[in-house]
Amino acid sequence: MSQLTDNLEKHTSLYVDAFNAGDFDTLDRFYTEEAVAVWEPGKPLTGQARREYQREFLARGPRMTAVPRQSFVTGDTALLIVDWVIETIDDAGAPERLEGVGVDVLRLGEDAVWRYAVDDPYGQG
Amino acid sequence: MAFTVDFDPENPDLTNDTDTQNEIFIQVFNSGDGELFNRLYLEDSISNFSGEPLTGADRLAFFKEFLASKPSLKAAVTHAYVAGDVALIGVDYSIETTGPDGEPLLLEGNCTDVLRRLDDGRWLMAIDRPVAATGLVAE
Repeated sequence: MSQLTDNLEKHTSLYVDAFNAGDFDTLDRFYTEEAVAVWEPGKPLTGQARREYQREFLARGPRMTAVPRQSFVTGDTALLIVDWVIETIDDAGAPERLEGVGVDVLRLGEDAVWRYAVDDPYGQG
Repeated sequence: MAFTVDFDPENPDLTNDTDTQNEIFIQVFNSGDGELFNRLYLEDSISNFSGEPLTGADRLAFFKEFLASKPSLKAAVTHAYVAGDVALIGVDYSIETTGPDGEPLLLEGNCTDVLRRLDDGRWLMAIDRPVAATGLVAE
């Protein structure tokens, strides 16, 4: 269990590194093939739509900080609660600060890598 | 006890349908049968309903104790996302129960549920995490 938890904490830190490097291809490997992401509340995206949204989002050079608050691991499935802040720019190019509490479901692959199955950044409150 | 949903107590399946999941969950909870309610979870599933993450025998013991007084649950689905063999469901819930002092107690909040599809095709609870607006279950 502790090994899995270690991997899970590493997951968040590696994800943030890839995000802040604007490295879409690396970031995309943190998602399962069927992953659902909900960066705009009420608008879940999967597959190509998810990838296009994320690629565009990263193109603005956003910076993220993320602090895991709680994690629950059962077998190859985990629920991760994360406090996050993103500094980015809005459509007009002005600085914009986004923040939320992520409620994320992760799956452990056979390669011992945790990946998002559900990425719900505004999952709480 | 009578269930108004299609539900096999010996081999429960929450199904891949969100409204059916919610209805089975409510009806089994309201049956007051903690052992039956526990069958909606896998052996190593994590329930935070007590305020602590419980699995296995500890979880079963809590469910039996908590449901013995037949608390009444209402729950409405707020969102649901299915990603292959795993799903995340959000519900607003309220529970009418009895406090330690014997007085009526209302518990309300939002609960996140993670469900898994088993190899035999059934869906069961993997993790629940209530966040209470009022009542006993806290962060």
